[in-house]
Amino acid sequence: MMVRWLCAMVLALGLGAGTGVLTSTWAADRPDRQEPVFPHDRHQGLFPVCTGCHAGIESDVAESRFPPEGQCVGCHDGVARSRVEWDGSPTHRVSNVVFDHVEHVSMLTESGDTPATCADCHTAPGESSMSVDGSEELTTCWGCHAHARDDHFAPTPVGAEAAGCANCHVEAGPDSPPFPRPGAHEGDNFLLFGHGAELEAEVGRCATCHTVERCAACHVEVDRPALLALPAGGVEDPTWSARYPTPPSHEQGWADDHAEAASGPSGSCATCHTSDDCRSCHVDPAPSSVSRIPSRSQARAPGVDIRVEAPPSHLDFVFPSAHATLAAAEPSSCATCHTETYCVQCHDAPTGASYHDPDYLARHATDGWGRNTECASCHETAVFCRACHVESGLGSVGRLGSGYHDAEPLFLLRHGEPARQNLESCASCHEQSDCVQCHGVTGAFQVSPHRAGFDAAAAWNRAPETCLACHLTRPIGVGGA
Amino acid sequence: MKRWPVLVAALLVAGVAGRPSAAQTVRGWATSTVQAVELRPWVSLSDCIAGCIATSEERLAAVGTQDVRLSAWGLGVTGLSATLYARARTDLGSEVPWPRSGDRVDLLLGDVRWVGGPWSARLGRQEIRGGLGFSSFDGAWVGRRSRERWFEGYVGRSLARGLRAPANEALAGLDDFLPDRGAVLVGGALGGRLGSMSATLRYQREILTDRSALVSERASVDGAARTGRIRWVGNADWDFQLGRPGKAAVTASRSFSGTRQVLSISGRRYVPYFSMSTIWGLFEPVAYHEIEARGASSVGGTAAVWLSAGWRRYGDAGVVEVLSPLSDTGWRGAAGGRWQAADAWALEGSWRLEWGPGGFLHSADADVVWSVADDAQFRIGGGTLQQIEQYRLGDGRALAGRASGRAGLSDRVAAEGGLSLLHHSASSAGEGVSGAEWTQARAWASIRVRFGTEPTASGGLRR
Repeated sequence: MMVRWLCAMVLALGLGAGTGVLTSTWAADRPDRQEPVFPHDRHQGLFPVCTGCHAGIESDVAESRFPPEGQCVGCHDGVARSRVEWDGSPTHRVSNVVFDHVEHVSMLTESGDTPATCADCHTAPGESSMSVDGSEELTTCWGCHAHARDDHFAPTPVGAEAAGCANCHVEAGPDSPPFPRPGAHEGDNFLLFGHGAELEAEVGRCATCHTVERCAACHVEVDRPALLALPAGGVEDPTWSARYPTPPSHEQGWADDHAEAASGPSGSCATCHTSDDCRSCHVDPAPSSVSRIPSRSQARAPGVDIRVEAPPSHLDFVFPSAHATLAAAEPSSCATCHTETYCVQCHDAPTGASYHDPDYLARHATDGWGRNTECASCHETAVFCRACHVESGLGSVGRLGSGYHDAEPLFLLRHGEPARQNLESCASCHEQSDCVQCHGVTGAFQVSPHRAGFDAAAAWNRAPETCLACHLTRPIGVGGA
Repeated sequence: MKRWPVLVAALLVAGVAGRPSAAQTVRGWATSTVQAVELRPWVSLSDCIAGCIATSEERLAAVGTQDVRLSAWGLGVTGLSATLYARARTDLGSEVPWPRSGDRVDLLLGDVRWVGGPWSARLGRQEIRGGLGFSSFDGAWVGRRSRERWFEGYVGRSLARGLRAPANEALAGLDDFLPDRGAVLVGGALGGRLGSMSATLRYQREILTDRSALVSERASVDGAARTGRIRWVGNADWDFQLGRPGKAAVTASRSFSGTRQVLSISGRRYVPYFSMSTIWGLFEPVAYHEIEARGASSVGGTAAVWLSAGWRRYGDAGVVEVLSPLSDTGWRGAAGGRWQAADAWALEGSWRLEWGPGGFLHSADADVVWSVADDAQFRIGGGTLQQIEQYRLGDGRALAGRASGRAGLSDRVAAEGGLSLLHHSASSAGEGVSGAEWTQARAWASIRVRFGTEPTASGGLRR
């Protein structure tokens, strides 16, 4: 029985282009796998024995492993049969498996077993011609190499050489063929969601090909029990490098929401991020969760390497007008990235021309009376506004003629309504004494500036000196001594 | 006031000098800026009965500004640092004085601060930003911030906004009725987060140092929330001294197709705030209420457009109407876009219309932007505007041309500068006003040198 399986393996691997069969296990998922296209079943009657075409398999003569160029033309001459292309050599298959037919045949002969026919390996039970698939080929290998199978998956702390990998595999290196990759590994979903669960469910399956070094190529934090269950120091495909697909949770609004996930007891941030990523935005004191994440200097993996950029909320064109309230509502959020001096750079009588547009001086009056921008946030009206207005001839110098407001000849009589609507604008040119000239008790007209129902007593109690700017004594209607 | 820079600088030096050099860092930047603008001040005409005004000859206003910002670490106590932000100004031969060019040195920030876990404290000149705007003071601040809750409290000598000096000192000679004493600022805030909602309640009062009068007493609440894909932002404040509500606003914004389209609706109430140090607040200004819609969308991945429109109505002024009532409503609309024509080239344009009581602005602008590199950009553009200021005759038309650029000269040095020319058409005003046709020039240049690495996101908002 042993010999039968061995022979089956010999023929199976030999007809599989003389290089190996493990690749065919995942052939359907590998674009580099060249499937045999010769329709053996249709030629079964024409070529009754395999060695009629593949004589070199047994003799180890490379030139005769496949039919020579031109042999097909005997029938496929373009007249009796349509022409086909065959140049005498099949497409080379890329594989890591080392397999020698002659060596295996020799071993079988020396062991005294009777070699099987080609069909023993290359024809599935019940079929009439070559029809084997990869899984059966692999089973064939394990038929004899079962003793190696356990070792093959086991952790091997002393390295690949001691594990005997070279018995069946080519030496891994920059130019070596890639190991076969299961189709399930394709796509970002496997990296994001699938591989962790598979590892925890069946670590031995992952250990077939992977060591913990593979994990450490991407994972910033590798101290997890599941990862440490993998062998260390084994063979890893040298061409794989760190890749960090973006999880769906990180899309819309994640910059605003990530704090909750990061502060959880089992935050997974350190899978992909180093604390350097956190500190590219967070200023000191950084959140405590940051300290639980390794820094870039402590990790083998490069990490995502985030660059500082404004969160999406800041790119919203509503943000400039809303940021003041946002900052007031949740100051700790702003303090994540900004210190106080950041605010002061814009909000304190800016020294450069970067806050206002270059010709803002010519159109600032509109913002002034429309209050689209609260000038007083940065500018003290009496000093900044009125001082400049006085110097430029706009300041009041005690004159109460219509002068400036010449669109309304009776503006002095009608100024009450615009004054109550835009008193800040009035104060940017007029000083208080201008108003007192008429509104004070010693003024020309003694027109009360207060509305009906004005609580004079409350005003007096809070700021009596201010009342006395217009009233020489305690105002009428204010009780007490 | 001018002792503060020296004191804080001495603290920096003393702290750093006393520690091993390996544990010390001083980081910051220095920015030198020169600005100049031509003006034609208005002058009164002596031969005009009604107080007519006209433009004078061209005059120059120019100022040089030096900003220095430093933070020093490694002062011997973990979490302890010192911050200095100072600004010096000098007049550069102006014929018309530049605002505040007479204030030689301002200390904007100058404090020693400590951070230990969620707790932090500051001592010195500092600034509070919140729902009541900006408040500066010389004093102490302590706060605790975590993701779920935060609170702070502060007390100190009150400083006039934007002036970094007590109002009675900074405004001396400018205002006849200002109290001659300083004020003490006391305030605090308490806030928290619940799910996707966060809110902060703030209370603040100022009282004269002799406690004879109240300067201000206000409270505010600011909140933000998200329901689905809609973000809500709102705020309101209350003026205790006048016993009435102050400003309030609520904005709801929603993005579509990721962030490719954004739509927002805002409701806003605005009423100016005046401290009790002036009589203005007792004149009882009225609020306006406004509703505004804004939308923006990216187009084809290389362009973006935005549009906004708003309408506001002022409250009843409660005055006796003379002849006919004046307007109490206002409109505004704006639109703009940006087209990234190539990797390095972009075209920007905007249009704006404001039409309110007694005033008007209509403008259009276009700029070509050439991004030579990440840290080098040049732009050239122009525009036109027509502006009628409040209750004033004159067409106020102008054509603008401008060019500007910024470039990083090295890892630590960056420069920017620009020139703007504004050609004003002759005013066709009535009898009282006479404007001339002339071209106004404005130029600026600055250079920034950075040293150390700032632990903060850099840059700033550009309107």
